[in-house]
Amino acid sequence: MFAGTGRREWSKEAKRVVACMGSQRIIGGGLGLSEAGPSTHHHHHVPSYGVLHGINTANPSTLINEGHAFNFGELEEAIVLQGVKARNDEGKAPLFTTAPRPAATLEMFPSWPIRFHQTSRGGSKSGGESTDSALSTKTEPPFEAESPMSKKATTPSLDHQHQLQHDHHDASRIVGPSSSPQNQSQAKSPHEKRKGAGSTSEKPLDAKTLRRLAQNREAARKSRLRKKAYVQQLESSRLKLTQLEQDLQRARSQGLFMDCGGVGGNLSSGGAMFDLEYGRWLEEEQRLMGELRNGVQAAVSEGEMRGIVDGYLSHYDELFRLKSVAAKSDVFHLINGMWTSQAERCFLWIGGFKPSDLITMLIQQLEPLAEQQIMGMYGLRHSSQQAEDALSQGLDQLQQSLVDTIAGGPIVDGVQQMVVAMGKLANLEGFVRQADNLRQQTLHQLCRLLTVRQAARCFIVIGEYYGRLRALSSLWASRPRETLMSDDNSCQTTTDLQMVHPSHHQNHFPSF
Amino acid sequence: MVGVGVDPLERIERLASENAVVIFSISSCCMCHAIKRLFCGMGVNPAVHELDEDPLGKDLERALIRLLGTSSVVPVVFIGGKLIGTMDRVMACHINGTLVPLLKEAGALWL
Repeated sequence: MFAGTGRREWSKEAKRVVACMGSQRIIGGGLGLSEAGPSTHHHHHVPSYGVLHGINTANPSTLINEGHAFNFGELEEAIVLQGVKARNDEGKAPLFTTAPRPAATLEMFPSWPIRFHQTSRGGSKSGGESTDSALSTKTEPPFEAESPMSKKATTPSLDHQHQLQHDHHDASRIVGPSSSPQNQSQAKSPHEKRKGAGSTSEKPLDAKTLRRLAQNREAARKSRLRKKAYVQQLESSRLKLTQLEQDLQRARSQGLFMDCGGVGGNLSSGGAMFDLEYGRWLEEEQRLMGELRNGVQAAVSEGEMRGIVDGYLSHYDELFRLKSVAAKSDVFHLINGMWTSQAERCFLWIGGFKPSDLITMLIQQLEPLAEQQIMGMYGLRHSSQQAEDALSQGLDQLQQSLVDTIAGGPIVDGVQQMVVAMGKLANLEGFVRQADNLRQQTLHQLCRLLTVRQAARCFIVIGEYYGRLRALSSLWASRPRETLMSDDNSCQTTTDLQMVHPSHHQNHFPSF
Repeated sequence: MVGVGVDPLERIERLASENAVVIFSISSCCMCHAIKRLFCGMGVNPAVHELDEDPLGKDLERALIRLLGTSSVVPVVFIGGKLIGTMDRVMACHINGTLVPLLKEAGALWL
């Protein structure tokens, strides 16, 4: 679109303009830089309006009204030219289409050097064009984002050539209408050229000017980097927010959160974290269930089925690992079962399912089984029951001991009493861990007792069973309550369930 | 039993070999209570050594920690003089069906 040399020329023009204006840091890296000498090239394409972000990041206090008359059109044209390169640089033009600021700051530019008029395409033409281009480019999508030059954004260099390219690409921010007389008063160079129209453009840039221009570039570069970092931060935050919203949605749809506002504040960060992880675990579990079903239906090879079954088992191992971590930070959250659905909570045993109950269900659902396997299942159930009884009795003793500590005797030393009680409470974590250990061992033993295909069916049954419990919880949570109120204290739970719209069933029981 | 001069580890080994099932416990520990209930529920009569009731209990506890490599050391179970481990291991053995044969072998259970 723009000839390479053409770009440079515009840039030179713009730089000169800026130099003339003595604008400082606001102009930043793009404009007003090392270029010296009058431009001898006149042709400019109408460039797209660059981003004036550099202005935004510049110190707003410097955007003081200049008060001097100047040629808005000329300046704008130069700015536009720079803006083209700037767009190349970051490829983020969509972000840079803020219009109001640039317009406001443009007006603050000091008087335009006469020389620019002579060397530019012509005031009238540029004025008209730049206005149009300014307006049109506000919504122009980024172009030449793949320009090889766009990589150079971050290296300030005193080399003029380098600067040219650098400026080209970074210039979008540079459109430094933010330059102001204020800035100029801060200029390092003692002799500012703002006042005289045409006074500076005819002199070659001296050392001080060069230094100032270099500083401008540096400042602009830093602004750009800051903005880039900020934008990246925003985007990653946005992604996180989306993820959190999805997790929340998922958790709500599974009836994991109590809708009782009063205890909303009780969810600790450890508990909340576990809830989120559990939500993701459930999603993955659904996916693995799909794999299991496919494997069974497609009658895949034994080796492949073994892999799928092992994958499902490992997924449960992962759950127990998550729970052990959560138990350290918030054991009560696990024990009170708020992380699980209401129906599952009904059958909760020390923070999870009761293995012997699961095996009882499986023995019925997995028929027909070989004699040996049935015996193995009954044996497993028996062992599990013994272990469960032992743990339950241990927990009872803990409870009793705690009651004795809290209730016992006159409160001579309340603090000591609490310390002892806290020590006893700490044992809860051990019980939840042992209960999870029991659950984990039971699942592994099931796999050992059954053939690969039986194990696959077994896991499908388990997955569906808990899926239905969760579905039941959702249905229950969403049942119409008005019907309860219309009754005079009569127990209508079964009819209430029947009154739920049948379509709900379809949503919740897809595998039936 | 023996005087202070005996190495705690030796003492542990000796105690462990005196009965078919030996549990090192602490009287106030609820997990120890649970493991005792487990064995009793299976019909086993374990010999229990409460470390907090033993004058040299602290030494024994330290020796057990070294033996097991964990800091939460009780309850610890020995069957037939061999170290089985803490609650974790005992439950795993029970579920995978290896505990009962061990008990029978040690003479703690007979059907």
